[in-house]
Amino acid sequence: MFRDDAPALETRGLTKRYDDGTLAVEGFDLTVPAGAFFGLLGPNGAGKTTLISAICNLIRVTAGEVLIFGEPAASLEARSWVGLAEQDINLDRFLSVRETLVYHGGYFGMPRAEAEQRADEMIDVFDLRAKERVRAPKLSGGQRRRLLLARALMHHPRLVILDEPTAGVDFELRQELWRYIRRLHDEGTTILLTTHYLEEAETLCEEIALIRDGRLIARDSAANLRENYSAATLADVYVKAMAG
Amino acid sequence: MTGNQGLVWLARRETLRVSKLWTQTVLAPVVSSLLFILVFGLSLGERIRQVSDVDYEVFIVPGLVAMAMVQAAFANNASTIFQARSDGYVNDVLSAPMHPWQVTLGYLVGGVVRALAIGVSLAVAAIVLVGVPVREPLALATAVILVVVLFSALGTVVGIYAETWDHTTFIANIVILPLAFVGGTFYTIDLLPSPWEELSHFNPVLYLVSAVRHGFLGTADVNIWLALGVTAAMTVPAYLWAQYLFTSGKRLKS
Repeated sequence: MFRDDAPALETRGLTKRYDDGTLAVEGFDLTVPAGAFFGLLGPNGAGKTTLISAICNLIRVTAGEVLIFGEPAASLEARSWVGLAEQDINLDRFLSVRETLVYHGGYFGMPRAEAEQRADEMIDVFDLRAKERVRAPKLSGGQRRRLLLARALMHHPRLVILDEPTAGVDFELRQELWRYIRRLHDEGTTILLTTHYLEEAETLCEEIALIRDGRLIARDSAANLRENYSAATLADVYVKAMAG
Repeated sequence: MTGNQGLVWLARRETLRVSKLWTQTVLAPVVSSLLFILVFGLSLGERIRQVSDVDYEVFIVPGLVAMAMVQAAFANNASTIFQARSDGYVNDVLSAPMHPWQVTLGYLVGGVVRALAIGVSLAVAAIVLVGVPVREPLALATAVILVVVLFSALGTVVGIYAETWDHTTFIANIVILPLAFVGGTFYTIDLLPSPWEELSHFNPVLYLVSAVRHGFLGTADVNIWLALGVTAAMTVPAYLWAQYLFTSGKRLKS
């Protein structure tokens, strides 16, 4: 059952060692309050995508626990509350834009009429109306990215995870996407964002966690991080934290 | 939240894929099997009058129907799952609120639908062209269900383990096709000299071809109960293997 008094995300002692022996995250504890706009920053290989994959049941966790609004992440209920836009564009090549959205809604338990209605809404929000009958491989890079985000939001998730959502996206589209994500956040949706655009994180996120080598090294608001690291910008904080 | 809605939509998606690619998934195998019936049956039928008391062009139909269904069920599931893994969109299904058994069953439907579409089309064409009978419909239906589930499940397993497209086609072309050719599709194993007749009994495809042939003709190389029993004994573990992979996440989740 959904509990809005529980944190949107809680990891306790999360550890993931891959089959090749790589230790991606170790004893990772993180709590993201419900309704937060939370940023996760770190270099490539820091463990961000591993953490996201653990939240979304896309990897086999070695040890520890992941809770979504108080429910184990593997439970069907918890899964229905999470929307994920992965870093790599992973759209079903056999489905059109509309089908991608409607089928995703179906996988997440939406009845057809509701899925069709929501797909229409998402198509308009993400300006994909002219391409609704076109299959994913025929879309431009920007259109694919928009479809990926529309798919993640299709089933009204309470926790939206955006893994590098604006990588390779032009300035105009980035502004549009953030306007929409901000609106979602204002309506109470929890947002977990990873990005390499530090100014983006600074502007959008209420709290930021810095991770390196699978460990949490700092966590605070952008202003407090700047103060703690005696840095003028978040970029300076990042450089100092990652060097340390 | 039961996941049943997701199961229905995944089954729909797999069926949609088959229908969108119908010339490749259904028409092509039907045409090539019909060519076998016409070329082998009608030309060789002039020389090999009867096998097991039926005309040769009638005798080969059940084996060809079984072979076409086996290949289609396997290829469908191996390719759909390998493609989904390779492009990463399998994550959309793996992260959805569905039980592993629902994911296994949802994926299985595509192979079953495709194989049945081919089997029914071929059977109807063969009834019209060479007058093949359906003497034991119940046995035929049971055999067909076991066969299509067996090879859809095997396709699922191979699609999950495969690292390249070559791996999926290797199993289809180097394992399944040769076993089908020497599994009594075109001949009765009674005609084989020793030890080939005895060795044929170690070929699992012989049993499923026999089960399907018994359904059509009422007679086959192997007793119907033994044929169905052996086919079921392969189907159950193959299905459980596919189910285990989705439950454990092995090869699907790193």
